[in-house]
Amino acid sequence: MAKELPGYGTIDVPKDRVVPFGAVTPAPVCVQNMFQTSNWRIVRPVKDDEKCTRCLICYLSCPDACWVYKEEEDVMEWVNNFCKGCQICIQECPSGALTAAPELDFPDGVVRLDKPF
Amino acid sequence: MAKAKMLTGCRASAEGAKAAEVEVICSFPIRPYTAIMMELAKMVANGELNAEFIHGEGEHAQLSVVLGACAAGARAFTGSSGVGVTYAMEIYSPMAGGRYPAQMAIADRTLDPPGDFGSEHTDAMCTRDNGWLLGWACSPQEVYDNTLIAYRVGEDHRVMLPQMVCQDGYFISHIPDKVVLGEQSQVKEFLPPYRPISPLSLTHPVSHGPQIRPDQGAPMDAQRAQTFLAVPKVIEEATADFGRIFGRNYDPFVEQYKLADAEIAFFIMGAHANTARAAVDRLRKQGVKVGMARLRWVRPWPTHQLAAALGHVKAIGVVETSTSYGGAMRGGNLIHELRASLYDLDDRPLVTSFMGGLGGETIWPADFDHMAKVLTQAVKEKKVRNYVQWLGM
Repeated sequence: MAKELPGYGTIDVPKDRVVPFGAVTPAPVCVQNMFQTSNWRIVRPVKDDEKCTRCLICYLSCPDACWVYKEEEDVMEWVNNFCKGCQICIQECPSGALTAAPELDFPDGVVRLDKPF
Repeated sequence: MAKAKMLTGCRASAEGAKAAEVEVICSFPIRPYTAIMMELAKMVANGELNAEFIHGEGEHAQLSVVLGACAAGARAFTGSSGVGVTYAMEIYSPMAGGRYPAQMAIADRTLDPPGDFGSEHTDAMCTRDNGWLLGWACSPQEVYDNTLIAYRVGEDHRVMLPQMVCQDGYFISHIPDKVVLGEQSQVKEFLPPYRPISPLSLTHPVSHGPQIRPDQGAPMDAQRAQTFLAVPKVIEEATADFGRIFGRNYDPFVEQYKLADAEIAFFIMGAHANTARAAVDRLRKQGVKVGMARLRWVRPWPTHQLAAALGHVKAIGVVETSTSYGGAMRGGNLIHELRASLYDLDDRPLVTSFMGGLGGETIWPADFDHMAKVLTQAVKEKKVRNYVQWLGM
């Protein structure tokens, strides 16, 4: 009788860690909360509403759609969970309304998080 | 039963794709696989095959196109050779991770040292750890058959993985041999239509290929590894079904030729197995108890099946047709995995390897005689002198 060889074991991924099959998810209407991508940001853009002319160039230039114009309040809103801190908006802003601030300056800065969101 | 035709491996591959009614094909020229695309282009132009034929601007584009086609729900087909295979390297892992079961036909070609048209398995072997199903044929008939079997396995919802169907350049891809093509009714019975799981859709929009976080990476890898545990059973089912419907029976993982009473054995894959079989017959006439094991799938690697097939043999010579410079045995890769597969046996065979068929060289019958001598000597001395020896060097 031949000796029984080791098997491959089983793999049990904890339920709360299972990733959707092929990482395919239903397309979000507005934001995709399952895969947030701002946890490698080291700086974030901070806006000065006095200088901002609502020209929407930040909205046009952001590669991750992280600037949204809030019509009711007439202000630009920044999307925290998807901004990777690339600073394109800061470079492109024609009125100097945006500045780069280190994440360490914020109590909710991503560098302070134990877990990424 | 349909009549056999004389077809090259390239034509057999194209006939396999046509029988599978592939819907999207993406080409870029590199010999020797190019002939597959030439055949398919003719079929599309002549109206024999209703498929979208796209000219990629390189192999990276080819793989990207079939990934997209697969995501949209189409059965997709592409292929390459040599450095073309490695040029597309970036796409292999995302394609397997995203679970796009497209198929790639490979007609092996040496990676450039620089510029050699000859066959060598190193091209597709480079991709072996990217999560694709990977296997070699040893005749144009097997190329045709594997094309259908691989689609059936890859598109199974327990699997959903891309597949590489490999054949040796020139030895298989350009030398005609008898091929029996399946009837369309047989193909229909064997290969159901591709049913994507979450295709791109206007009515049910989905996101494919998102950025994931580091803490999502490990479970993603584990889930892919988990799938590979399920693959062997699907391969067994598909191969058995293939035999039932088409009347051609394969051992799902390892062709075993005169192994039952063998004392020494060649472990080989691809075209040179044909010479090995003839060498086994001839050596047996001279009283040498030799056999051959031919690997059909490199991924998933059939660990237990190999231990069962080769465990009783006293010495095994691995015929390597690919390189692993600086690897554990300083030869090719197959010996690493074969030795690992046999390690837990109480009375494990001696294993050495022979570098042969590199750069497109033929492995001659005399080479097998030489290998048999080395193996017989190893049995006598109860040890192998070297892990690797280069044939003809």
